[in-house]
Amino acid sequence: MRCFQMPPQVFRVVLLIFAIGVSYLVARTLLTPASFHEYGFYRGAALAEHTTRHEPVFAGKLACGVRHPDVLKTLAKGGHKNLSCEACHGVVSPQHLTDPTSNMDKPSGAICLRCHEASPSRPAGFRQIVVKDHYAEKCIECHLPHEPNEVP
Amino acid sequence: MVATVGGVLAGLLALPAARALKKKFSTSPAPSGYDASKHKWLMCLDVDKCIGCGLCADACKTENHVPEASHFFRTWIERYIIKKPAPATAAARGEVLVDSPNGGRGGFPPALVPRADILKSFFVPKLCNLCEASPCTQVCPVGATFDTPDGAVLVDPSYCIGCGFCIQACPYGCRFLSPVTRTAEKCTLCYHRITRGLLPACVEVCPTQARVFGDLKNPLADDPLQAFVQENKVNTLKPHLGTNPRVLYANLDKEVR
Repeated sequence: MRCFQMPPQVFRVVLLIFAIGVSYLVARTLLTPASFHEYGFYRGAALAEHTTRHEPVFAGKLACGVRHPDVLKTLAKGGHKNLSCEACHGVVSPQHLTDPTSNMDKPSGAICLRCHEASPSRPAGFRQIVVKDHYAEKCIECHLPHEPNEVP
Repeated sequence: MVATVGGVLAGLLALPAARALKKKFSTSPAPSGYDASKHKWLMCLDVDKCIGCGLCADACKTENHVPEASHFFRTWIERYIIKKPAPATAAARGEVLVDSPNGGRGGFPPALVPRADILKSFFVPKLCNLCEASPCTQVCPVGATFDTPDGAVLVDPSYCIGCGFCIQACPYGCRFLSPVTRTAEKCTLCYHRITRGLLPACVEVCPTQARVFGDLKNPLADDPLQAFVQENKVNTLKPHLGTNPRVLYANLDKEVR
């Protein structure tokens, strides 16, 4: 009695499917980045890459406070206590960080009006002025930006 | 002479301080000791506090090197103007006008609607809504966009093929195809800043605390976010879409989309 023998054409198809399966697994292993399933269906290493993609540009209020604690103390007493230095003075320049004699720009009245010019869209409780009824764009002639509650 | 010596002395004294500063605030490479599983960042917004100064939109472009053109934004401000209803109708409110000239950068020009016709008007800051069921993540064919364990939704620029599916999928219009990198870009919650212990740039410069940023896993429970959620009645944008945005808005009008 002859035992069952796989016909050669079936054997070839099985071999082909097996070869495809193996090459798929090999390719998958080689092409998937090491950290791909670390957190989910993405490269886990991308998280660390995002942290170093840029250097921070804005130094933050805490950084300014290291060298200007007196200004922050004055600021904390008045209505501008929640304001960040860089909101009005602009981004701290690398020169200013390394060379204390290179001053930051003094902001003009235009920056005051960016927040305080009257607009029907602003919350009603927020202090606003109509420039032409008030004085001019020369706010700091009378007001101290660091202690706005001290009205002359 | 005395002034020069004084200056040199001051300079010498300042050097270590400056070096310490640089070390603290521009740590490179990756900030060590940051564990993504120990944080859950979130930003919330208070519509009643936004004054439309546009400092956040400006700061975001500077901080993240977003292309200058006026249609690339990671965060922006919209101005809503709700007109008074026409006299003979039973409607409580009239036409709703929304504008966002240059994303609100540099502040808003005066509204074209006369003040007498305005029923009410307000500003709404917009950013990535950090959806729990984020459509952008679901449609990405290559796994380039993902929800991180610490609450951000990021794009892996080395994997993104720039197909733009995610840009179409985002119902809040928070993504754009960068002409520089040719990949999708969006708000990263300033991931490079928050992992270093700094605030996102828009939160840093916001003069009225309309933007509240915090860590839901903060063990100290002194987080501004917890106070915000306790004290305000909050809502999300487009809740009917089932995207479950994590970003909460306080004092949100029903017209805001």
